[in-house]
Amino acid sequence: MIKEIFKNLAAGKNVISKADLPALSAEEEKKLIDLQKGIDRIFGKSLRIRQVDAGSCNACEWECTALTNPVYDIQRFGIDFVASPRHADLILVTGPVSRQMELALKKTYLATPEPRIVVACGDCTIDGGVYKGSYAVTNGVANVIPVDYYIPGCPPSPGDLLSGFLKLLVTITK
Amino acid sequence: MIEKVLDKAVKTREHLNELYIEISKEHLKKVCMYLYENKDALLRLIFASDEREIDGSFRVYYVFSIPGVDRFFIPLISLKGDDLSFPSITELIPSAHWYEREIQDMFGLVPEGHPDPRRLLLHEAFPAQSHPLRKDWGISDDDLKEWGEGLARKEKNEFMKVEGEGVYEIPVGPVHAGIIEPGHFRFSAIGETIFFLEPRLFYTHKGTEKHFEGMSFTEGVRLAERVSGTSSFSHSSAYCMAVERMAGIEIPEKAKAVRTLLLEMERLYNHIGDIGNMCAGTGLAVGYSRGAVIKERLMQLNDRITGSRYLRGINIVGGVTQDIFIYAEDILSILDLVTKEYKGLMKLLLGTVSHVERLENTGRLSKDIAMKMGVTGVAARASGSNDDIRKAHTHLLYDRLVFEAHSSARGDVFARMMVRAEEAECSISMIEALFESSYQGGLAEEVKEIPQHASALGYSESPRGSLFYWVMSDKNGRPLRVKLRSPSFCNWPAVPFAVHGNIVPDFPLCNKSFNLSYSGCDM
Ligand code: SF4
Repeated sequence: MIKEIFKNLAAGKNVISKADLPALSAEEEKKLIDLQKGIDRIFGKSLRIRQVDAGSCNACEWECTALTNPVYDIQRFGIDFVASPRHADLILVTGPVSRQMELALKKTYLATPEPRIVVACGDCTIDGGVYKGSYAVTNGVANVIPVDYYIPGCPPSPGDLLSGFLKLLVTITK
Repeated sequence: MIEKVLDKAVKTREHLNELYIEISKEHLKKVCMYLYENKDALLRLIFASDEREIDGSFRVYYVFSIPGVDRFFIPLISLKGDDLSFPSITELIPSAHWYEREIQDMFGLVPEGHPDPRRLLLHEAFPAQSHPLRKDWGISDDDLKEWGEGLARKEKNEFMKVEGEGVYEIPVGPVHAGIIEPGHFRFSAIGETIFFLEPRLFYTHKGTEKHFEGMSFTEGVRLAERVSGTSSFSHSSAYCMAVERMAGIEIPEKAKAVRTLLLEMERLYNHIGDIGNMCAGTGLAVGYSRGAVIKERLMQLNDRITGSRYLRGINIVGGVTQDIFIYAEDILSILDLVTKEYKGLMKLLLGTVSHVERLENTGRLSKDIAMKMGVTGVAARASGSNDDIRKAHTHLLYDRLVFEAHSSARGDVFARMMVRAEEAECSISMIEALFESSYQGGLAEEVKEIPQHASALGYSESPRGSLFYWVMSDKNGRPLRVKLRSPSFCNWPAVPFAVHGNIVPDFPLCNKSFNLSYSGCDM
């Protein structure tokens, strides 16, 4: 098996080379490098994120998922999405917080060890976005748990998320 | 035709391909059964609307379509006064069960004889006897607070219990391990084998239908685009189609072409992404990554041609905002590349025994159950159905394109992958074919005044299956009712049947093979 893998690697078979990937702009590449430096310094090379969908339309989550694809490959910076809030440094919330998700969001927040950072992703999380005023949403994450940082957009693109994380790092170090 | 089963004359109303048939409560079962059994009609959706401002009645509509006939048969009943119950047809047509429970939650109309009349959309902490889609509904701040806290039990809604030696329960969710939407699953397992699964969804219920009523029809497009992220364009197309049909607008040929093109682009990025995602369920990292790269390429293309990775901001009531055909070169060259990469991916997947073995015979859904439960889209076609709205009720430019409804009789996870694979290839050739002609007309038709109390259906075949909107205007030409029926609402109830007898660790794989939307289902 191991032999097989090395053989494939050597032959370049089934390996995605950088040249095959959709390109990132020079600006995005620079963002990535700055981001890495910040994470290395502040989080000891490891930032663990727990994503919680609190009633989003699902586009925001797909953009978070896209961060883990080979194009953005956010894991190479020591950032990863984890399965349990107990392993997380940061909670990334999406959605306007539907009433029926309020309790679950609070519980997830409380299960995350302190110091915890809450980042709200997407216009919905600011004031309910397009759902603002509906009886079934709470019009924003801050009405349910304290928010440290917002990344706006509907949805924010993977690039927006990267620059959001970067700015967040700058804010934290201040 | 219907007259045959009824003794007295019935009132019918025809609008485009919709035939509304007013019947009395007593005749409901007979008419539905006639359509369902004698005509093999598919139950597309059931919905209610509060039309008390017109004549003091609530109405319940049953939308059927008969295979091979481009027409919707819509028996409807009116409920007035104190007697707000209607006969349940769930025991005759099982796919009616969720619709009837939904109507009970949202309108307080009682489906009499329903085998499982528990709440569906509204969880236990929501006040009793409170029905959001009624026009005179309101809720106090205290009730809202308690609903959000989620601790009160205002109307009991117990999980079904499976008892017997060795049966134990595994509760999962609503917050899951991955980056996915929330929902609760209650497994009753015996050893590793799933005996029974009861999903409890609607955690992301956002009151979307009611929210539509507070907007104008033109503003509603923005909301329709945000019902289910990865089907944004299918939703906005179906919504716009419903409003346009209601207002009597015929959109220009060019707008039709743009919509057809982008519907197929949406299907393409979803299907390829889904095929890649299924690899996450079998631990095939290289397949997952390669799928994700192709998807990302398509998303970036979406962004370049429409300004949105999710194809938002193109549809408006009356047409579209941009001519996408000017990007022919970009689109066709990316498609060339994607075709190559995608063929390589499929070769890899089908050549990986460990992957294929996990897919074969897993999560089997029989045709019989799929049909009875009213399953739609890829899931239905992978279980032997050949229903595809693009063919059954052809619209936009689909009548000019050559394609077939791909279908497989296997019903397992493998079949769902293969149906997606075939459809993705088909979408590519449809997109290429669209570029071979030129199209007349402007981008959008002007929206005239919207008539009073008019109504119409709109539909599309989204990547997940058939999608319906039904809209009705009030006396001021604003929305009186916007009903949306997402394919996930039809398919969720079938998932427990597909996972029965599978092992718990295969559940994520089965679930991914359906790839249902929570947000779309929960509304
Ligand atoms: S911000 Fe936009 S994309 Fe994100 S969940 Fe809300 S509606 Fe969806």
